[in-house]
Amino acid sequence: MTRRTVIVLALWLALVALAVGQILRTPFTADLSAFLPANPDAQQRVLIEQLQSGLPARTLLVAVEGGDAKARADASRAMAKSLRASGLFEQVQNGETDSFQQIGEFLVLNRYALSPAVNAERFTAAGLREGIDDTLSLLGTPAGNAIKPLLERDPTGETVRIAETLLPTNAPRSEEGVWVSRQAAQQNPRALLVAISKAPGADLDAQMGAIAAVQSAFDSGSIQGLTLKVSGAPVFGVDSRAQIQREVHWLAIAGTVLMSSLLLLAFASLPALLVAALPVATGVLGGIAAVSLVFGGVHAITLGFGTTLIGEAVDYAIYYLIQARAGGAAHWLKSGWPTVRLGLLTSICGFAALVFSGFPGLAQLGVFSVAGLLAAAGFTRFVMPLLMPQGAHGNRGAGLRQQMGRFAEWGVARLPALRWPLLALSVAAAALLLTRPQLWTAQLSSLSPISKAALDLDASLRADLSAGDARTLAVVQGADLQATLRQAEAAGTQLDALVQRGAIGGYDSVARWLPSLQTQQQRLASLPPPDALRSALAEATRGGPLAAERLSPFLAAVEAARKAPPVTLEALRGQGLSPLLDALLLQRKDGSWVALLPLQPGPDDRLDKDAVQQALQGLPGLQSPGSAPVNAQVIEIGTELTRLYARYLREAQVQALLGALGVVALVALALRSWRRVLAVCQSLLLSVLLTMGLLALFNVQLGILHLVGLLLVVAVGSNYALFFDMLHHGVPAGQGADPDTLASLLLANLTTVLSFGLIALSDIPALSSIGRVVALGSLLALLLSAAFAPRPRRAQGHMGHEKLLR
Amino acid sequence: MTTGVKTLGLDRHWRLALGAVLATCTALSVATPAWALDLATVAAQLAQRKGGEARFTEERFVSGFDGPLRASGTLSFAAPDRFARFTTEPRPESMVVDGNNLVLQRGGRSRQLALDAVPEVAALIEAVRGTLTGNAATLEKNFKVKVEGSAVQWTLTLVPRDARLATQVRELKISGLVSDVRSVELWLAGGDRSLMLVDPLVPSVTAVPTGR
Repeated sequence: MTRRTVIVLALWLALVALAVGQILRTPFTADLSAFLPANPDAQQRVLIEQLQSGLPARTLLVAVEGGDAKARADASRAMAKSLRASGLFEQVQNGETDSFQQIGEFLVLNRYALSPAVNAERFTAAGLREGIDDTLSLLGTPAGNAIKPLLERDPTGETVRIAETLLPTNAPRSEEGVWVSRQAAQQNPRALLVAISKAPGADLDAQMGAIAAVQSAFDSGSIQGLTLKVSGAPVFGVDSRAQIQREVHWLAIAGTVLMSSLLLLAFASLPALLVAALPVATGVLGGIAAVSLVFGGVHAITLGFGTTLIGEAVDYAIYYLIQARAGGAAHWLKSGWPTVRLGLLTSICGFAALVFSGFPGLAQLGVFSVAGLLAAAGFTRFVMPLLMPQGAHGNRGAGLRQQMGRFAEWGVARLPALRWPLLALSVAAAALLLTRPQLWTAQLSSLSPISKAALDLDASLRADLSAGDARTLAVVQGADLQATLRQAEAAGTQLDALVQRGAIGGYDSVARWLPSLQTQQQRLASLPPPDALRSALAEATRGGPLAAERLSPFLAAVEAARKAPPVTLEALRGQGLSPLLDALLLQRKDGSWVALLPLQPGPDDRLDKDAVQQALQGLPGLQSPGSAPVNAQVIEIGTELTRLYARYLREAQVQALLGALGVVALVALALRSWRRVLAVCQSLLLSVLLTMGLLALFNVQLGILHLVGLLLVVAVGSNYALFFDMLHHGVPAGQGADPDTLASLLLANLTTVLSFGLIALSDIPALSSIGRVVALGSLLALLLSAAFAPRPRRAQGHMGHEKLLR
Repeated sequence: MTTGVKTLGLDRHWRLALGAVLATCTALSVATPAWALDLATVAAQLAQRKGGEARFTEERFVSGFDGPLRASGTLSFAAPDRFARFTTEPRPESMVVDGNNLVLQRGGRSRQLALDAVPEVAALIEAVRGTLTGNAATLEKNFKVKVEGSAVQWTLTLVPRDARLATQVRELKISGLVSDVRSVELWLAGGDRSLMLVDPLVPSVTAVPTGR
């Protein structure tokens, strides 16, 4: 071993050790956050925050089916009881109304701070009479029964006023004392529960525990014939993680086995196989370490994608092992390496477009691939020549390489005859694409690994619980909690008018539970001192059915309220109201607050979004410098998600176009001839056309991931086209288009098609979409490059890419 | 995302406000026909009436109050499932039921509710709506029904089957004259009661079929 060899090997080992060290410190995730955009705009931000960390992320929807209504109701009660006792859940609701006495008492105690009716006029003689009359109008009715015990304490009915505002417009159906499904006609009747876990939604292990607790609560009280269904974001998170982990293992094993078999077939040599595995391993380690450094964590999907890196990186080993046979390492560095380097650069061009993608998951794939390819190529360039100076020369077996080479030769000779049919097919593909203007219609949901059946179950449970009805939200925000609450109150005033007009059915607001300090203080300050209240009350009750003498508890309560502190967020949390508050109020990382006001449609399902928008426009805003006030917005969740996805698709199209231009620029730089660049581009363009045409033929809805796949087709396909261009314009000395060289090309193509074909089989849509496009596209690219390649001019000798690629 | 308010079983306050609904149910009714002593026959007759308007006066007798508390206003009903009560005195107030949807207005404030979310309220609504539309099955489902009187002057006594409702409402007595509901009396569990007298704007053409 020379000194240089030792240094290079030591350097390589040190880098590998560093990478391993970095990887060992890396957290691996498998949640859904990879599919949420990284830089949403203001409206989308609220949505994403809710999805990522809000209440929905820890809310389980539970259904009990089968049996009769009573059995289901009994099971629901038993489960709710055991889940509440488990301590895992912040709240378990099943429609039973027996808990929450405490909250009722809290609201009664704080009624003068919370009732929207409290103001100075309310405590004049006329105002008191009005309030008392209001209350009396309920007496003698079933409602009166509930009010009567409070009459002396609360004759003006502030408790009723509060209750009125808190009345849900869209509560679930109730039967046998528990929540049940509404659409009994088309589906199995169900009893329904909602369980909100204490652990944060991102803690998937804890969520898994919560789901297991639901299952065991059901099992322990299980009655024959009942079945359990569980849905919600935690279930999606846990299931996707399990699925992703399963698939990543499967893909890694299958990828290794496939590539090893291929290499064994090609080289029939174990040492060659082992050496070929080294750039792959180096690349994978480098890729993971880079992602870990850039993102601080690695998503399992990225690892799944690693299989394709195996397919790319192994090509370098194949090229080296075959091409270095003749002239040895030194010669390869002059003749073969430039080609590999160009291929590397075009591939990096393709993957670099991913790095700038708005989806963290795709950006990780980009960084992983770029770093992985660089590491693998670097290993091939610097370390391989030291380990195997003669390439695969020393190895006796040629495996099936001869046969592969002859097959390739045969193909290269025959394919040009198919030019016209292929051209005709491409034209047909273009025509087909023109008739499908709706080609790019895949939705955001196409990125997520959640199955249609699971989504359908979730949608139907949400419909049963009326929880999915709030598809439209009004959103207000402020720099601090009080500013946000004041905004929510102002929005509430506007929305009240809309409810009155029938433009909306109703709305929820945190300000009903927690009025701003200012509002509470105003209310409490409007309470009169005892003497004034006593005389006003005497006047108000004169001649009426309710004598003032009975109302001394009222006088005492008002006096106590005058001295009571205002209701605070902490006090409400102390009452077990956290789930409710968290659904309506969020604090951001930067300390600012957001209040969500879910809007409910009116009786005929009417929700006039424009009217809401208009009403909220009138709100006084916090003017942020240089922009319009963004303190109040209306968000329609469905539309918003579509809009969000459309935006990312547009961005991705631009990025893909830039990536493709980068590839072409590289090719042009290498070839320095417009004619030859056009020839290369021709087969690339036709590959993309045919790939898209085939996808369209099978009615595949194209989305961002297909676009990414097409870009990779261009990046990979450019290598093939270049190869044939080189054949035409003369190949390096000693490297005639002999069967072995053609075999290396065929092998490289096979590894690409197989590795992407593998992930095409994945159940994770993000992987399979890319896999399908690239496997199909790269195969087509090879065929088309061969078909449209000019006939080699053997006589021309040595010019060509040696010179061209410098 | 909206779990908050709607999923929180606000128990008592819930019920308070719902009570507001019940309040309105206390009374109710509109013109209707009936002439037989057996529920099926009464219901069949009632079912022929597709709508009507009426004035009502209501007296509520509440323990702790000397005289009755009074209210008056109008009622309207349209088959199959809409009816409304508009109170004009002493204070304007309204309750409109349409299908599964209930809209309450008091003191210039409007609230909307899903009826099937509150079975106790739904049962009381059905007592009236079921009578008006002649839906014997609904009445039987929610109440033990006793039919008394004659074809010309009949009384339905409804006792809630639901245990929860029974803790609030002891019974309802709905009386009618031929095809009109003329009074609804509601006895609450605590002993308070209300009596609503109904005065149809267009009394149903009395006509007891002569053939019987």
